[in-house]
Amino acid sequence: MSYCVNCGVELDASHKSCPLCNTPVINPKQLEQLIAVPPFPSEKGQVELVKRKDAALLLSVVLLSTAVTCGLLNVFVYKASLWSLSIIGACCVLWVFMIPLVIYTKLSAYASLLLDGVVVCAYLFMLTWLTKQNTWFWGIALPITILVTVLAEIMTFLLRRFRFSFLVTATVSFAEIAVLCVGIELVLNRYLHQRFFLSWSGIVLTICSIITIALITILSKKRLRNAVRRRLHF
Amino acid sequence: MPSKRPPLSEKRPKKDWYKLDLSAIVYPTLQRRDFSAVYRLSVTLKAPVDPELLQRAVDIAMKRFPTYKVAIRKGLFWRYLEPNRRPGPYVRPDIKNPCMPMGFQTNNRYLVRFYYYENRISMEAHHCLGDGTGGMCVLQTVTAVYLELQGCFITKKYFVRDVNEEPSPGELEDAYMRYADAGVHPPRVHEKAYRVRGTKEPFYTLNIINGTLSSAETKQVAKKYGVTVTEYFNAVLLYALLQKQEKEWHLRLRPVKIAMPVNLRRFFPSETLRNFITMVYPGIDPRLGAYTFEEIVTQTHNFMRYYINEKFLRGDITTNAATQRNPLIRVVPLFLKDFIVSRFYAAIQDKNSSAGLTNMGLCQVPEDMKPHIERFDIYMGQPFSSRTNCAIITYEDTLTINFASSIIEADVERLFFRKLVQDGIHVKIASNRESV
Ligand SMILES: [Zn+2]
Repeated sequence: MSYCVNCGVELDASHKSCPLCNTPVINPKQLEQLIAVPPFPSEKGQVELVKRKDAALLLSVVLLSTAVTCGLLNVFVYKASLWSLSIIGACCVLWVFMIPLVIYTKLSAYASLLLDGVVVCAYLFMLTWLTKQNTWFWGIALPITILVTVLAEIMTFLLRRFRFSFLVTATVSFAEIAVLCVGIELVLNRYLHQRFFLSWSGIVLTICSIITIALITILSKKRLRNAVRRRLHF
Repeated sequence: MPSKRPPLSEKRPKKDWYKLDLSAIVYPTLQRRDFSAVYRLSVTLKAPVDPELLQRAVDIAMKRFPTYKVAIRKGLFWRYLEPNRRPGPYVRPDIKNPCMPMGFQTNNRYLVRFYYYENRISMEAHHCLGDGTGGMCVLQTVTAVYLELQGCFITKKYFVRDVNEEPSPGELEDAYMRYADAGVHPPRVHEKAYRVRGTKEPFYTLNIINGTLSSAETKQVAKKYGVTVTEYFNAVLLYALLQKQEKEWHLRLRPVKIAMPVNLRRFFPSETLRNFITMVYPGIDPRLGAYTFEEIVTQTHNFMRYYINEKFLRGDITTNAATQRNPLIRVVPLFLKDFIVSRFYAAIQDKNSSAGLTNMGLCQVPEDMKPHIERFDIYMGQPFSSRTNCAIITYEDTLTINFASSIIEADVERLFFRKLVQDGIHVKIASNRESV
């Protein structure tokens, strides 16, 4: 039988600290804790998720029928070019995007983001085949898609690593905006002017860096962090 | 209750659907992926529970409660309950996080769950089926059948129903409508109350802090203040919330209010097993000045005396029923009703109180069941927003208080129990929290 020295309440024999104030239980007479049956089970229940079969089916049917109709129209009516490929491709991309949302919800976030990136790349590559010209793909589309995919993966990782909070989200977002803008400008300049240099994204980079550094300072100082949370929570 | 009922053989035609009762209409509209209005009742026996026997008891007893063996369905204008003939509900080993969200399509569409852990049988029910009194009938009947399967004899009294009897129409009625006959609809005053701030726990975590007290000791302390036990606990919770608000950073103080369900069966005779409760909001406004504990006790005592009586409650029920009776509201399609009700609830109803408190009072048990029962626990379930809910029940001399909250900080609970200790009540604490 142990009491919390701070609250004065008797504690269940299985508890090693007081649930009310987290003060550890130290009983000098009872250093060897008796093995007591905990008052609550330790197994955590999992909520059964309803599979959104209806939504998945509906969306699949809509996309499939759009693709098929366009394909048929292309083959039999407007035969001038292979225009339907772009629409069929877009349908495929949309379908892959919704896999983690409605079709296979257990897919890990990283895998689904990677899949999204790959599909977008494939779609863009198919468009180069339609436009009969592929320098823009290798020069702009592919690097930017890869950059966005990588940033999305990093964002997911960071947000899962640290407990979700407004401040962490803001920090990560500002840092990523800076990287994204710099990346896009570098790629564009390389493509248009054949060399690397920074102009407008330099400004974005400066502003975002200042904000990010300020946020990291706030995050690392507990007192500051609490003050900001108190004032800005919503 | 002990009226003559036709035996099983001469059955009336079975009802094949039930309207939701007046307060049950609200609960399903609040359903989210991470929230269901689910409460839990537990009974702790004196010997470990045999799961197989318990399953048999559940199967036998559930047939007696047609409004609990149901699934919920959507109509064009309202939801309704439909008898559920699928297998189940199945008993399962208890879990650490009680009152998990309950999907309407999961669990074979049942809206009740049974759990066992060591000596304890727990039942969880969605609030749209009924309130704590109705749920207690189901749980105690299941327990009685379980004990009878073990070879005991249990008198059918108080909450225990005879499983060989047909349910009376009175048990299935929507009692609100029978008493919603006041000549005036008193308006409701809504004012934003103080909200407890805290760090939200991740999805599906529900923190329980359980306090076990001696009922006699508590009664004595309440008597010292000249109030009932419910009034005393309300005052202690208000006192804890006031202290918590005082300590927190705030621009201005807000009134501190408690949402307390009142069992209407005490005032309006009905044997219904469905919802028959209404909410009252005892509170303290700290903007009027600093209250001492004695003043809070007096204020709570006077509030209860003033509001909790047959006349005021009848007016309250009538106001509630007025919306449902309004023909213009009736023809609005369900999805629009859902949208409006959930917005209204989140914006006004939920902000109207700082915490919840319910006291079921003394739980009556047939004399021959007493030797098998250790204690009862009730849990108000997951709060709609970040705050803490407190549920109290007494069995013999064991008074149990269960706080359920979805925030990490236990400040309100600590202040609450410390006040009890200061008043000289011996409190024993147990919890399902991670760190303990
Ligand atoms: Zn303590």
